[in-house]
Amino acid sequence: MERILKAEKIRFSYNGVEVLKEIDVSFFKKETVGILGANGAGKSTLLKILCGILEPSKGSVFFYEKDLKKTEKKELARKVAYVPQHPFFAFPFSVKEVVLMGRAPHIGRFEFEREKDWEIALNAMETVGIAHLKNRLVTEISGGERQLVSLARALAQEPELMILDEPATFLDVKHRTETMKLLNTLKEEKGLSVIAATHDIFSTLYFDRLVLLKDGRVFAEGKGEDVLNEETLSVVYGIEVIVKKEGGRVFVFPVN
Amino acid sequence: MNVKRKLIVSLTLLFILWILTVWISLFSGTYEFNPLEAFSGNDEMLKTILLKIRVPRVLMASIAGGVFAISGAALQALFRNPLASPLTLGISGGASLGALIAIRLRLNQGLLGFSSTSICAFLLSILTIFFVYSVSRIRGVVATGRLLLAGVVANFLFSALILFIQFFSDFIQSLQTIRWIMGSLDIVGMDPVWKTCVLIAPPCIVLVSITKDMNLLALGDDVAHSLGVRVKTVEKTIYFATSFAVSSVISVTGPIGFVGLIVPHILRVIVGMDNRILLPCSFLLGASFLTMADTLARTLFSPVEIPVGIFTALIGGVFFLWLLFRTKKEIIL
Repeated sequence: MERILKAEKIRFSYNGVEVLKEIDVSFFKKETVGILGANGAGKSTLLKILCGILEPSKGSVFFYEKDLKKTEKKELARKVAYVPQHPFFAFPFSVKEVVLMGRAPHIGRFEFEREKDWEIALNAMETVGIAHLKNRLVTEISGGERQLVSLARALAQEPELMILDEPATFLDVKHRTETMKLLNTLKEEKGLSVIAATHDIFSTLYFDRLVLLKDGRVFAEGKGEDVLNEETLSVVYGIEVIVKKEGGRVFVFPVN
Repeated sequence: MNVKRKLIVSLTLLFILWILTVWISLFSGTYEFNPLEAFSGNDEMLKTILLKIRVPRVLMASIAGGVFAISGAALQALFRNPLASPLTLGISGGASLGALIAIRLRLNQGLLGFSSTSICAFLLSILTIFFVYSVSRIRGVVATGRLLLAGVVANFLFSALILFIQFFSDFIQSLQTIRWIMGSLDIVGMDPVWKTCVLIAPPCIVLVSITKDMNLLALGDDVAHSLGVRVKTVEKTIYFATSFAVSSVISVTGPIGFVGLIVPHILRVIVGMDNRILLPCSFLLGASFLTMADTLARTLFSPVEIPVGIFTALIGGVFFLWLLFRTKKEIIL
């Protein structure tokens, strides 16, 4: 498998507090990876470093063979998309305007969107299932719908790698499942690679590989059925759990 | 309708509106005459009134209104807040203090066709721009929250200093200063118009060239970054471009409020949120708005002229309240 992203000895501090302490991790083409960890374990920070939003205090990230520090931002934006945990919209743009903004890295400074860009944006909205919202304002739809708008915007970017920060936060069970299935379909059909932080153990079965963070370090990584056991989860989340496996699925319950 | 067509249609309509406003404005005044007849006729006095007073004044109103409005729109994109305006960031306070110093020291030495009051106002507002910017930086990066706060505090500080100096000034100087702070488009001859034009053109062009990035800023810093925007560079550019343009205008006209707040607000209702349309349209509507306001200010109680700054704040405020009463929607800040 070809490697798409590699983090090498990443360290990161916020105001003197070290959030990430030497992380080495690789991601491959056509692979979906889930990142798990307790609150404050450094998941969001790691994701932001992986897509070049934050620069690591030490260490480097390589997209294919190229150091992110030396990659032109717009060029990277054509290949890597980011979906934040809390989609934010400062002004009441319409849904279709926001999705169309995903095309920005593909359009020159003084160019306008072409017919093709509109088609791609419309397709992205249909794929995510929000085509009926296209003329609504992003400030007037629900939190879950906003998350889907953000996802559609990232799809319109036509990336090779999509990095999502807890895509399921505001989604109901049905949309959660559909989003995960959609990411897998895109992986199969378009060769998309996915890295997603998640708290939702229920959805871990959709990932090819899991990376578990604890206190700013990689605690364990591997296939879901190997990594998700009582011992590992107890350490990572600091809570006693019972893990049951049935037909390739993992069920986790708290002891108390 | 696609963005390009929407932009062309709205710019055309607003341009026609501006031409109409200018035409009406040239007709109106204490002396009423037909500008075309005055221009082609033999009456030297009418010709002088038209070319030395009315035309420069109308053009200055257009430039000032345009700059205030486009800067307001850009600053609102920068702060992700529709209540930001060109007078928020301390520039007007700095300029007013500069003007007061020039008046108090009885400086009469003009330079390059600008009066000493204008020059002092300009210098002090430029100083303010850098002062506010340096206060708001954290480890070399500008923080927008601090920028807003530093600007507002700078304005208060300057107001206090102005009052302090006023307290020790004589009556005529006080009156001159207050008159300056009220804002006025009272200029003679085309010189100030051309020179202001030269100063404001580059920053305005810069602002229009980054409107696409301004749209992406509305999605938050992280997403804007991930879409290829150099967020901090764009923020710095917006700050310095608007500040420089606004300083150039204010040092000639004095602070004229509300145009920068209300024009982008009205336009968002009509043309939508897209800054690629909003910014250029703001310039044109701002130009028409201030030209119209100035025409009313100098004709309504003719031969007495009300300072245009008072007038824009009055009609702007009333209009804003009406808009609030009419739309019963929550306003998202």
